Amino acid sequence: MTASRTQHLVSSSIILVIALLVGWVSFTEQPAEAFLFPRLISIFFMIFALWNFIRAVMGLSKVGEGISGQTARAIFPGLIVMLIYIFWAAKGYGKVPALEGHWLYDWVRRGLGFYTSSTIAFFLLYSLYDPAPITDIRSWLKRIVVTAIFMAIIYGLFALLLKVQTPRGMIF
Amino acid sequence: MKTMIKALGVSLAAATMAFAVPASAEEYPSRPIGVAVSYGAGGATDFQARIVTMVAGNEDMLGQPIYILNKPGAGGRVGWNWFAEEAEADGYTMSAYNVPHFIAQSIKGGVKYSVDSFEPIANWGADPAVVVVGKDSPYNTIQEMVDFAKENPGKVTLSGAGLFVGHHIAALQIQKETGAKFVYIPTKGGGAAAMKAVIAGDVVGGINNLSDAFRAAEAGNVKILAVADLERNDFLPDVPTLKESGYDVDNASVNFRGLMVPKGTPQDVIDALAAKVPGMFEHARVVKRMKAGGSPLHVMNREEVQAMWAKRQETLAELLKDL
Amino acid sequence: MEFLSYFGGVFEPLAFALLVGGTIGGLILGATPGLSPTMAVALLIPFTFHLSATQGLILLGAAYTSTVAGGAVSAILLKIPGAPANIATALDGHAMAKKGEGARALHLSFLSSGIGGVIGVLLLIFLTPLLAQWALAFGPSHLFWLAILGVTVIGSLDSKSFVKGLLAGCIGLWLSMIGYDDIQGAQRFIFHDALAGGIHIIAALIGIFAIPQVLDMFAKGRSKAKIEAVDVPQHAFSASAKEMGRSGRPLTIGTIIGSIVGLIPGIGGQIAGLVAYDQAKKFSPHKDKFGTGHPEGLIAAESANNAMVGPSLVPLLTLSIPGSPTAAVLLGGLLIHGIFPGSDIFERNPEVIWTFINSMLIGQIFMVIFGIVIAKQAAKIAQAPLPIMASAVLVLALFGSYSVQQSMGDVWIMLSLGLGMYFLEKFGFSAAPVVLGLILGPIAESNFVQGSLIAGAQFDGPWAQAQYFTTGTLNIVLIALVILSIGYSFLSHRASGRAAVNVEGVQA
Repeated sequence: MTASRTQHLVSSSIILVIALLVGWVSFTEQPAEAFLFPRLISIFFMIFALWNFIRAVMGLSKVGEGISGQTARAIFPGLIVMLIYIFWAAKGYGKVPALEGHWLYDWVRRGLGFYTSSTIAFFLLYSLYDPAPITDIRSWLKRIVVTAIFMAIIYGLFALLLKVQTPRGMIF
Repeated sequence: MKTMIKALGVSLAAATMAFAVPASAEEYPSRPIGVAVSYGAGGATDFQARIVTMVAGNEDMLGQPIYILNKPGAGGRVGWNWFAEEAEADGYTMSAYNVPHFIAQSIKGGVKYSVDSFEPIANWGADPAVVVVGKDSPYNTIQEMVDFAKENPGKVTLSGAGLFVGHHIAALQIQKETGAKFVYIPTKGGGAAAMKAVIAGDVVGGINNLSDAFRAAEAGNVKILAVADLERNDFLPDVPTLKESGYDVDNASVNFRGLMVPKGTPQDVIDALAAKVPGMFEHARVVKRMKAGGSPLHVMNREEVQAMWAKRQETLAELLKDL
Repeated sequence: MEFLSYFGGVFEPLAFALLVGGTIGGLILGATPGLSPTMAVALLIPFTFHLSATQGLILLGAAYTSTVAGGAVSAILLKIPGAPANIATALDGHAMAKKGEGARALHLSFLSSGIGGVIGVLLLIFLTPLLAQWALAFGPSHLFWLAILGVTVIGSLDSKSFVKGLLAGCIGLWLSMIGYDDIQGAQRFIFHDALAGGIHIIAALIGIFAIPQVLDMFAKGRSKAKIEAVDVPQHAFSASAKEMGRSGRPLTIGTIIGSIVGLIPGIGGQIAGLVAYDQAKKFSPHKDKFGTGHPEGLIAAESANNAMVGPSLVPLLTLSIPGSPTAAVLLGGLLIHGIFPGSDIFERNPEVIWTFINSMLIGQIFMVIFGIVIAKQAAKIAQAPLPIMASAVLVLALFGSYSVQQSMGDVWIMLSLGLGMYFLEKFGFSAAPVVLGLILGPIAESNFVQGSLIAGAQFDGPWAQAQYFTTGTLNIVLIALVILSIGYSFLSHRASGRAAVNVEGVQA
């Protein structure tokens, strides 16, 4: 299965735009000495991106399976959990100056902390993609046990053995 | 009703406060303290920071261990930017400073810190810059090299650990004083890479840390021509200072290393650290290890460091203003 | 043969316990995502404060050897390379593990690590004075050409399309320039504060390799039928040993490249595995099998990255120049105990240095034994159900990328690069050229800048730079190799491209 010509066109144009942006920045930003090497690289970057784009236009781009609707649908829930987990739950993120100082905002901004969010994310993702029927009590129990064991290993390795200081959130 | 909601809000806020500021209520320090080092693991600063903090966990010292966090990049800018902008000012994150590096960088601009962004705690070491040449070099004194550079401007290449670090400052000072024109080659990878360029003959000479140059000279790989300090060093009693060689170059390039905290750290925490840290640096085991490693120990307390920072700020602003 | 008389020191009770402990600990630390050998050795330095010089160095030496090999475990089982050295291992090793050949992959990887490692240490023992000069022969111009040579490998490395391989390499080179420029201190391509520190290679590796794989597992959805239930054939160690015996070619290629490249300060350790993988592929009659779980690639990569350990210590011990970041940390370990490297180190501190080197020799053997013992159990990890695997890799990616510098910015970079790489992979780009560009970019640039500055002083006239970079035997040899390498990959891609078109034509 290979990606459609349209998909190759879209992907190669995005790369071409990035390459042109990199080239533009390299040739306009100062100080010039610091951008000497970027200029050199960006020339090659733009040439290859253009070459790749022309191949896509001519329909010569054959490798790569592309992203089908089915794949996108399968990935979507996991991707959402992943994004919330990494960009907010683990440490918290965001700056809204108007709200700064408000206790609820400050609290939410702190995120859930590494261990809490990892436990929840692990359990959620596991449950989302576990083929067991949703009504099966035993598979729910199994998932809880596996999550607990995995997080215990992570805690033992990173917190106890390596003493990595991880961000704490609202709870832990 | 309104008062009830208000009371609820206040109590909730109080509850969150209790979550938010657990440390200050307890005795400081109540958990391990991190020291951010703006250079890679294995560099001189990292190596010395690991030695001087090794007894922190002792009951009569801080009572909590210190761990090292490496945040290398762009001659230290990455680590100090992070420290000035993001590090929490709660006394649990310290950073190792390198003077004149961070002061020179802040004068030069493009960074998010200056001397006013940090509060010094204490100084542990002073590593003067030295001028070195390869063992087969035709130059045996600094005068010979400077004279050649004067006659052949732009022909003498000198390697050093980066731009606006102690080595670069020393090169600039020598240039300014003698009127000779050198080509300063900044290397990536700290003093070790700069030293390699000298030993391998890629460059005519180099400016390097006294501690590294001392070892290279012991091994017979380089010759040390001069020390950029006010007095001769105990490790190198036979090497003249630049002043003795007839060049009016002071100790502005000496690489001072010590610990600091971000501005905004509670005063009682700063006081507690400033009282205990110098003693930690002078612990017998630390002194022994530093000596074994060929690293000059130079302990200064908070007031002395503050004075030293202020003086450097002045000299460097003067030196760098026409660049 | 002087070193033989110091073997006794290794077998003293405490020293021996440290050797065993260091090896096992090193394997675990090496297998932990986000902990590079450099970090692992740095973490152990404080322990050596309480030990004598000899004991401390035994611990560090054992940890150095085994962390490099331990990185292969996570590369094979989770497709998270522990360090740049293990990138090439992940390419074929993980494909093997997915096919249910995890135990075989681990056996082969430890055996080739052990063989490469022992030869590397023997080179250190016998050829140190000779090799030290070789390490110094590389000045900025040569290192620049070496980096470029590495970049040309991109065209033939693990990609199905020539132009996409080169384009992926350019993307990697561009990513490497983000952040503060190391020499000038200027800010480049910083769109977000998290990027100010540049892209940390370990965080990038985790994202680029682990995240696309997590998404691929998501893509299989929750339908039970699609979950790979591989029948795991029992894999006897004796079979692996026999297979090693038949794999002379990749093993030789890996060991030779690892030893030579490992010597060159500042470049070796990172790319030894990738270069060996590429060469093994070029010399192999089964080129098309590389990347699909072919043991040859794995053997070449692993023998190279352990063969590099011994020679990388040559410039450190004789010239006090650490050839790799890990060697730099080891230098600290030596200095703390008052041992100053230098050409006469073997005369001044024979006991400490020989015991240290001997412990690395014996450490290699222990490493193989422990590696083989855990292989069978560890291989089961790769057989975990997909939903568990996907969630576990994601959580490990978070912890791993965070613990590199304890910075959340690295975690965000990790995920962003990972998502980008997923889409690139779907359109025929592969990860190896991107990371190769990311590794080689800074090396090429800093040597280019230094070389240009030196050129200005050494030569006169407008062509000073060209003169500096193209004269001298070593420069000419390297340039010839660059041209050969480009020509080779271009021609072989044309040939295989035609073959592929023909096949398609037949099917249509």
